[in-house]
Amino acid sequence: MMRDRSLPSYCVISPGSVLDFTAGILGKGPVMGPMVRPDQPGFHVFDRLRRPEDLVLEYTTTTMPPKKAFFPPTETVFRFSAGDPPNLTPVRGDPPWVLLGVHPCDLSAIDALDRAYSFPPPDRRWRHNRDRSIIVGVDCMPDEYCFCDSLGVSQARRPCDLFLTEIERGYLVETHTRAGGELLGEARTSNALGQDFLEAEHRRRQKALGIQARLSADPGRLADFLEAEPFQEIWEDIAARCYSCGSCNTTCPACFCFTMDDVFHWDLQSGERRRAWDSCQLLDFAAVAGGHRFREDRWQRVRHRWHRKFLHLYRRFGRPFCTGCGRCSRACTADINILDETNRIIAAATKGRGHA
Amino acid sequence: MPETGKRAGVPADWTYLPEPARIVSIRREAVDAVIELELADRSALGHKPGQFVQVSMFGFGEIPISICSSPTRTGRFKLCVRPAGHVSNALYRASEGDWVGIRGPFGRGFPIRTMRNRDVLAVAGGIGLAPLRSLIQYVRDNREAYGRLVVVYGARNPSLILFRTDVEAWTRGEDVEMFLTVDEADESWTGRTGVVTGPLKEIDLSTRSTVAAVVGPPVMFRFVAAELLAKGMNRRRIFFSLERRFECGIGKCGHCQLNGMYVCQDGPVFRYSDLEGFSEAVEARAPER
Repeated sequence: MMRDRSLPSYCVISPGSVLDFTAGILGKGPVMGPMVRPDQPGFHVFDRLRRPEDLVLEYTTTTMPPKKAFFPPTETVFRFSAGDPPNLTPVRGDPPWVLLGVHPCDLSAIDALDRAYSFPPPDRRWRHNRDRSIIVGVDCMPDEYCFCDSLGVSQARRPCDLFLTEIERGYLVETHTRAGGELLGEARTSNALGQDFLEAEHRRRQKALGIQARLSADPGRLADFLEAEPFQEIWEDIAARCYSCGSCNTTCPACFCFTMDDVFHWDLQSGERRRAWDSCQLLDFAAVAGGHRFREDRWQRVRHRWHRKFLHLYRRFGRPFCTGCGRCSRACTADINILDETNRIIAAATKGRGHA
Repeated sequence: MPETGKRAGVPADWTYLPEPARIVSIRREAVDAVIELELADRSALGHKPGQFVQVSMFGFGEIPISICSSPTRTGRFKLCVRPAGHVSNALYRASEGDWVGIRGPFGRGFPIRTMRNRDVLAVAGGIGLAPLRSLIQYVRDNREAYGRLVVVYGARNPSLILFRTDVEAWTRGEDVEMFLTVDEADESWTGRTGVVTGPLKEIDLSTRSTVAAVVGPPVMFRFVAAELLAKGMNRRRIFFSLERRFECGIGKCGHCQLNGMYVCQDGPVFRYSDLEGFSEAVEARAPER
C-alpha cells in the first residue's frame, strides 16, 4: 500500500457511534470480532459477528487467536472429482471483510505470519485472504500471563487499518491506512482534542504498568543464547512435565504449521483436500515414510518449539515468533509457562557472567 | 508471478493445487514400482537431478517422491515408489492411464555444475538409488562434461535391488564404474557382500577432483562421510540428500525444518560441511570410534 503522509490521522468515536458503525459494516459482508464465549461466559472468542451488540471491545485475551480469520483451523484447499483428466476446483478462502477488535499482540502475530507466508515462494492462500480484509485494532488490558512489552509489541499497530483506544468519551481512533479511512468514512466521529490524546496516553501508561511479567533478555540475546548452548537439562525438565498435547501450538497466534489430507465424498468419485493446523509437539510431526521419527524424544520437540520461535524464525525474519500473549501458558495442560521457562534459559546462560 | 506458475496452464495463485498427470506406464516389482508420468498438458517437468515432486492420489493424499529419471531423457518423468503408507500403497497399485496430481519440482538438487569436469561418485543405500539414478543418467547423457562416474550401491538383500536393468547396464557399461553390494546374501548371490563402505575403501579416488553425492538411510551417511574423509576428500565436495517429512514443498508447513533450514527448499541436497553445523542433522554426526 502506498504511504500516505497524512496518516496516521486521529478522531474520536462515541460508544453509540461504534454500534452504528458496526451495524453498518455488518450489512456489507462477513465480520469477525471478539464476543463472549457462549459455552464459557467470562471468556471471549473471535467469531462471526451477527449482531452489533455482541461485539465486546473490552475483553481479555481469547483462547484462540484471530489468525483463524485468514488461516482457519481446517479448510478445503480444492475439490476433485473423477474425470479424464480429473476435475480440480480450487476453493478460495472465506475471510471476513472486516476483522474487528484485534489486540496489539495479535496484530504483531498477523505481521509475523505476513512475513513467513510471504517469504518466497509465498503461500498465496494467506495473501489472498489478507488482501481482502480490513483490520481494526483495539488496545487491551493485560493480565498476569502477558509479557508483550518485553518483546516490543505492546504498542504494535502493524498491520491494522484502524486502531481504537478507550477514552472517557468513547474511543480515540487512529487511522493508519486509506482503507481504514474509507471504512470509517460514514461513521459519526468528532475531532480529537488535546484531552483525548492525554487520556489515551494515560491509558497506555497504565497498561504498561500492568504488564508485570518480563522476558529477562531482549530477543536478540535470547537467540544468541539458544544458539550457543544446548540447555539439555532444561529441555528434559520441561519434557518431563509436558504431555505433548499440542495446546501451545493450537492457541499460538504466531504458529503456522499445517498438514494436508484428503477426504472422499460418499460417492467415492469425488472429494476434497483439507488443510488443518498441525503441532510440532506431536510425536509424528516429523515422521517419514520409512518410519524414522526425527525428534522422537519429547525433549527434542520441546527444544524445537523454543528454537523455532526464538532462534530459527528470529534469524530468518528478524523477529521472534512469540508475541508475549501468554495463550500457550494459559492453555498448557501441565502448567508450563513459556515466560518462566524462557527466563530460566536466560538465567542459565547468564549465570556467573555478571550481567543477568 | 514466476514462483509457482513457471509452466503454462498453472494458475499462479493456487499454491497447493496440483497439475493432473497421467500414468503412462507402471512396472511393479516385489518391493517397488517405477511409474512413468506425463503432465496433462504434455509439458516437461523441468526438473534437475535430485529434486522431488509432491504426488497426489486424489482421495488418499499427497506424498513427496524424488524423481528418478533425468531431464535429459524425455518430457515424461519417472518415480520409484515403495509402498510404505496409505498414499504410496494406493500409488503402487495404480494402473496405466490413471491420473495423479503433481506439484513441483521442489528443492535444490545435486550440484551438477560443481560436478562438471570433475569425477562423480554416487553412493546409494536402499531406495536412495532412485534420486541418484536421475544424476547417473544425467551424467551419462552429458558424458564428455564429466570425469569418472563411480556408482556404489548397497541393497539390504538381492531381492531388494532396485532398477536391475539399469544396474546391469551400468555394470557392463564402460563409462560407469559400478560397485554393487548386498548386506545379506542369499544362496543365489555371487556378488559382493557387506555395507557400502566396503567398496568405498577399495576405490582409488582422485580425491581432489571428486564430488560425492550420497543418498541413503540416516544411519548410512555418517559412515560414508567418515570413509570419504579418511580417503582425503574435501568436506565441501561431499553432498548428502536428506529425507525429511515434506508436505507443502515451499517452506511453509514446518514439517521438514532442520535447525534454521527448510529441507524442502534449502535442501534436500546439502554440503556435508554445512550439515556439520546443524545439531539436528543426525545424518552428519561423526561415528563414535
